[in-house]
Parts: sequence; C-alpha cells; structure tokens
Amino acid sequence: MPAEEMGKLSDRLRLTFAVSTVLCVLVLAISPVKDYRAEWKQYKRSFVRFAQGRPDTKRLLADYSPNIDQVWLPGMNVTDRCTTCHQGVSQPSLAEASVPQPFRAHPPIPHNVRDWGCTICHRGQGPATEVAEAHETTLAWEKPILPAHYLQASCGSCHQANIKETPQLVRGRELLAYLNCQGCHKLAGLEHPALGPDLSSVGYKVSREWIYKWLKEPRTVLDKDGNITVNGYESGDESRMPKFRLKEEEIKALSGFLSVQKAKPIETYKIPPGVVAAWSKNPELISQGEVRFRQMMCTTCHPLSVTRAGETKLIGGNIGPELTKVGTKVNELWLIAWLRNPKGYLEHANMPRYGWSDEDLYKVSQYVMNKLTDSDLLTNIPQLGAATDEEVKMGKRLFAEKGCASCHSLNGLGTQKDFGPDLTALGGKNASELEFSKAKIQHNLVSYIQTKLQDPVSVNPAARMPEYSWNQADLEAVTTALLSQTGPAPTSALQHLVLAKKDASFQPVGAFAELYERYKCYACHKFDGYGGTLAPDLSYEGSRAQKKWIAEFLQNPQTIRPTLILRMPQFNMSEQNAGIVADYLALAVQKPDIDPTSVDAKQLTPQMAAMGKQLYEVKYQCQSCHTIGGTGGYVGPNLNNAGNWLTTAWIEAWLRNPQALQPDTIEPRRNFTEDEIRALTAYLMTLRTGIKQQNTKNAANGSTSGQGAGR
Amino acid sequence: MIRKPAMVAFLVGSVLCAAWLSGCKKTAAVTPSQAFGSYDTEPDWNDATKLISLGYEESQGRRVFYQYCVWCHADATPAGPSNRSNVTPTPALMNDGEKLNGESDEYMQNIITLGGSALGKSAMMPPYGKTLSPDEIKQVIAFTRAIAQPAYQKPGRPGSQYATKP
Repeated sequence: MPAEEMGKLSDRLRLTFAVSTVLCVLVLAISPVKDYRAEWKQYKRSFVRFAQGRPDTKRLLADYSPNIDQVWLPGMNVTDRCTTCHQGVSQPSLAEASVPQPFRAHPPIPHNVRDWGCTICHRGQGPATEVAEAHETTLAWEKPILPAHYLQASCGSCHQANIKETPQLVRGRELLAYLNCQGCHKLAGLEHPALGPDLSSVGYKVSREWIYKWLKEPRTVLDKDGNITVNGYESGDESRMPKFRLKEEEIKALSGFLSVQKAKPIETYKIPPGVVAAWSKNPELISQGEVRFRQMMCTTCHPLSVTRAGETKLIGGNIGPELTKVGTKVNELWLIAWLRNPKGYLEHANMPRYGWSDEDLYKVSQYVMNKLTDSDLLTNIPQLGAATDEEVKMGKRLFAEKGCASCHSLNGLGTQKDFGPDLTALGGKNASELEFSKAKIQHNLVSYIQTKLQDPVSVNPAARMPEYSWNQADLEAVTTALLSQTGPAPTSALQHLVLAKKDASFQPVGAFAELYERYKCYACHKFDGYGGTLAPDLSYEGSRAQKKWIAEFLQNPQTIRPTLILRMPQFNMSEQNAGIVADYLALAVQKPDIDPTSVDAKQLTPQMAAMGKQLYEVKYQCQSCHTIGGTGGYVGPNLNNAGNWLTTAWIEAWLRNPQALQPDTIEPRRNFTEDEIRALTAYLMTLRTGIKQQNTKNAANGSTSGQGAGR
Repeated sequence: MIRKPAMVAFLVGSVLCAAWLSGCKKTAAVTPSQAFGSYDTEPDWNDATKLISLGYEESQGRRVFYQYCVWCHADATPAGPSNRSNVTPTPALMNDGEKLNGESDEYMQNIITLGGSALGKSAMMPPYGKTLSPDEIKQVIAFTRAIAQPAYQKPGRPGSQYATKP
C-alpha cells in the first residue's frame, strides 16, 4: 500500500459505511414508526377526526388525551384500557345507533364505567391495546369477550339473588333448579336438590312394561307425525326426566330391578260396594268424573294435552306431572291410595290431601283410569315377564352407575356425592381447559356449553350426562346461568361485591301448620318470600282480606281474576279447617304498618261513596282494568265483592301506594288526594255480590247483611 | 463491486421489512364476529319468523312493556287474551308505526308519565310516572321504536345541533 493512500478509505469501504449508516437509521426508525401506527393510536386519531365532523366537537374532545386511557381499580383487580378506543363510552350525545363503533356511548346502566371498569361485565382482556387481543382468544391471552347475548351471566356472578333486569338469567337459574342439575353437579346458589319421586315402592305403582317404555322414551305425548312437540321443550314444560342412552339389556335390567321395589305396601282403600254398585253401571260415571276433575281444578297443577287443528298443546300448570296417559301408567289401587293421601306413598309429595267423598273418589279415579289412557302406549313393548335375579342385580348396579340415585332415592341406595363435575367455576374457564373431542364447533366456552347441553357425547364420548331437548330460548337461558357460575370472586377484595341470596323461610305454627302442610299452600302461594309463584303472594293476606271472606273462599273458591285458566283447586275443605286457616291468616300473616283500625267504617258516608263512584267511573276510569257488574277490563281483579273481600285499611294503603304492598303489581301509583282515597274506599266498600248478584255461584254464601265494612 | 447488487437487494429488503413490521397489524384487525351479537331479540309482531335485534336499553324496555303495557297495547298477552277490546277508545298497538312514528319521544314520555287525561286524551291510560322510573319510561319508548312497523326513523333535523355533518 503506497504511503499516500494510508489513512484513506477505499471506495468500497466508504460504500459499506454509507449503507450501514442508512441501515442503522432505518432500523432505529422502525420503532417510532411502529409506535405511531399502533392500532390504538389510529383509533385515537380517528376519534379526533370523527369529533371534528360533529357539532359538539368541543365537548367530545374536552378530556381528550393522546395517551392510553385506563380505568384502574386495584380493589377490584380491574385494569381496563378499553376506553382508549371506546372513547365515546360516557358521551350521551353518541348514543345513536348511527355512531360508528368503537365510539358509541354505552347505554345507561346502574354501574358507571369509571367505578366498575368494563371487563367486570364484558370479560375480555382489560390491559390489551389491540382489538384482537382485547376481544378474542389469542395465544397469549385466552379470555374472550362475553357475547352480548349472554351478558346477563356477568350480572349473576355478583347478584346471586335474582334481579328483575336480567330475565334470561332468572329463567336459566329456574331451569337449572327445575331440572335438578344440582342432583349431579355442584352449582353455586343451588344447594337443595329437588328430588324426583322416591322409587322405594314403585313396583306397586306401575308395571315393568311402563318403566321400560319410560326409560326408552321419557316423553309420552307425541303429535300426529310422531314428533315430540309437547312435554318436550317446545311447550315450555319439559318432562324433568331426561333421556339416558341405555342399551336394550340395560333397560330390561333397570325395569326389572325397579319393578321389584315394593318396600312399603300401599294403603289400599276399598271404595264401599254400595257406591260402586250405584255408579259402575251408570253411563254418566266417566263424564261426571271428568266434571269433578275439572271442578277440582286438577289442571291448575297437572297439564293435559289437547289436540286442536292438528296442533298438540299442553294445557295446565307445570307443578305436577302431565296426566294425558296416566291411566295406562298407574295401578288403580295405587291411584286411589294416592288421591286419598299422597304423603302415604311419597314423603315429599307436593300434592295436597283433598277431602274426598267416596262417590267423588270413585268417579274421578274411574275417569282417570278409563279416559286418560292410550291403548297404543305399551303395544311395542316386548313381553318382559317377571324379573330374573340376574336382571335385578344388574339393574341395581346400573341404578348407581347411571346416576339414577342423584334424583331418585331408593331404599338402601343414597344419593351419590359429586356424581358429575363441579360446575361452580365453569363460567370462568378458558377454552384450553375444556375437552372438545372431535366436535366440529368453535373452540370457545359458549359453544362448548351449548353443545354439551344438546349432545353431551359429541364433546365427551364417555359422558354420562343424559339428553335434554331444549328450545332455543331455554338453551340460551341455561347457558347464561352456567356462564354466571364463575366460582368464588377472583380476589378476596371482590368478595364484598357478591350480593348473597337471602334464605327465605316461613314457619307457621299450631293447627294452621298442619293444614298448611296438608293443602300444600306453598306449592302455589308465597309467604314471606317462601313458596311458589303461580298464585298471589299471601304474605299480607291478613291485612288485605276479611276473615269471613277467607273462610268462605277456602270452602268455595271462585275466580277473582276473570281471565285466569289456572285457579285455586276445590279442596273440599271443612268449615272448621277453613276457619282455622282464616283465623291464622287474619291474625298472624299481616303487614305490620297497616293498622286495621286506621279507618272507621262509620266514617264512610253514602255521599262519599257517590263521589267515589264518580271518581272511579269518570275521573280515573278504573273500569279500563277492573270489572264491576258485567263491564270493565280484565287486567285487575274484579271488584264485584270488594266490600266483603277487602279491608278498608288495605284499600286505603293500596290506593296510596300499591307498590309498597306488592312491589311488582302493575297498578300504577296515582296522585290521589286523601279525600279521593276516602271516597273511593267508601265506594268500593258498597260493592257486595249479595246486593249486586253478579257472581251467581258465590251469591249463596255471599253476605247480604249490611254489617260494618271494617272488622 | 461484485457485491453491489446484493447490497441493493439487502437495502430494499430491509426497507420492505420495516414497512411490513410497522404496517402488518393493520390487516390483523378483527372484523366484528358472532361475539358481538345482539343483546336480545323480539319477534316481529306481524311476522314471527323475523327477529328484531334489541340493544340493552330496548331489551329493558321489552321487560317493562311485558309487565305493564302489554295488557292493553297488544292483541295477545303472555297470560292469555288481551284487555285491549275492553277499552274505548281502543289503545294503539305498540308496534303501530303509522300511529306512533309521528309522535315525538317527548310526547310519548309525557303521556306515559302523566297519563292520558293530562294530555287531553282518554283517562283510561293511567299515569305511570310514580310507578316507573324516567329511565324505564325511556326504555319502553326505545322498545316501541325498535318494533315499529313501518320502521321508525328518527326525525332528521338538518342544520340543527343534533345533526351529523356528512
């Protein structure tokens, strides 16, 4: 190398340096460019452009910052950056559906986004700053956002008591309890299993053939095409017995095993031969039996299927089992014993013990055995004969293995603990924790739950879970309820947010307690939050109704609400028993803040009543909902007998504020003045069927005396 | 100078690479999938096979409607026949767009809150202002708008402070 060239760079080296410098700069530039083009920054800028195109730019951009926006609530484990892109979340002017997402305002809800964050309800990844990572399952982050349709599940994670704003969740929880899911699974908020019938003495009740049929196809009412349209979910009244995937020999073994279960002989009752002789040849026997069956309002609890114009429908309540084909099912001796005393056969029966005359018992049982039948029901059943020892042994093993014992108790075989998986934390599971087997479904929790509910084997070939037939709405409701089972609160700090369910109980005492149990008042009526929902809440019945009226009503219930199909059954209650119930309700089942002496009936003058009539008919037009005489609406109860039925104190309290007495009543609260209230009360107290002769059935025992209205 | 083309290729490659690194995320953005489905649905009253999707507010309105209003403002109720035929003048069906689309939200709110007689209409429509909260009343109106046939269109007021610029 010549000396003059020492220290000089060759062209090649220069080029190398130049290129590497440019490269260095470029590489360094990648990071800022990437940062500038970050997804969330694009949304930030596009929000500014969007706001500038609107007239209220200034307000929309008032607290704009170009940085990541974050709701940080350490106490609740919330770090939500959702508002970085969802910048209009709390801008009321952006509520329109025409506002493009992600800028639309959140609909007003009781929980403010600044105090609660987003992921508490919507789930998804709070800290994520990219659309995919925030909303969907990615490799790094698994929890996807909860589909809007199942959002009520999140309400249920904290609100363990039902709230009115979440009908879908409430329905789902109802179904979980109704179908006794907690028999096999552990579920939060469902501790008490709703048992199916005790099978200890089932051999006396049904034949082996019927058990065989039932195990094969637990729905017995089919439409003309042979499809199950009733007692399947389409009617809303699923038979609680699901369908198990049993092999032929398993069904034979189980039916054999059950047919020999005769632990406790039935209390046979022989209908006096005189009654039988008088009626058995009478052509009216069956039709009179049907009339009694209808009069006693059996259909208030038990549905019957009715086919009209090719469409099969179940009509009636769903408290008791469907009875369309029960005559082919049960043994006549058992039926008579059951009707006389349900508790004699089944300790936890929900069926009231009616007071029967021998004649009625004979007529109704003959009607049930001869008319509610289906001669085709058992035709395709193989001749089974008596069960062999082997079948009984195998049946006993299957009874435990298949989980029958989870719902049905049977002598010597108790329920199995933790038969199915614990589901208390199912709603918080990640897709990777679930088994999808070969099912061709999306790998996420919602589709897993729905597939499992519809076809348990498809996601787990070894599943023991039986099959249910759901309609779409119920499937979604149950899915919502299961998604709400998110286990204990994620951190102990969150535990205080959980609103526990109140334990309701109503413990009557004395002679009434016995009657309460005998007539199963709680199957339909609620007392202090405990009991059924079919009939009016009776927690304040003593404040509402007059004692005399209660006693008369119990002996001869009539319809207060004109459109009701499901009505109070005719218990054939004795005068003495009706008196005991009326006494107890009138004295012990009261609303403490209604003072029965607050209104003196003597103050109510005919002038007041005349003014009340004017108010009722002209100013307030109450007849739009209530019936007096033959005219008026069908929404509220008819007031024909209000003077004998209601207490003055109750009417006044009710007119002041109906919701205070019955929170979900639809009668609106009005602006009545005290004078108007007094006048309306005076008018209502003059309404008595004894005078008006409206309710012919009740007229006989309706009071005609002009005694004071207040007790 | 034999390696010059290789250099150029490398340069071009690195620039492309940088562009890709910074721009790749744009294509990865997700499109709204089933995960963003509607909150609730209501079958079209005239055509039960058609489902109208409801947002949160409309769905709450649906709940209020089926508790308080359905008895007179629909032809069938969940509990059997409706009371509509017993009331004169006959109440409007809640999905009757021809009748209700012309009424403003404010008017609807007033008639629900104050009742018919306060607005010179039938006293058979009772006031619900003390029974329902203002939010619930708004929700019922939102539900009415959602199920309206013909469909409800918010009155456009071009040039007013509520209009969006194109």
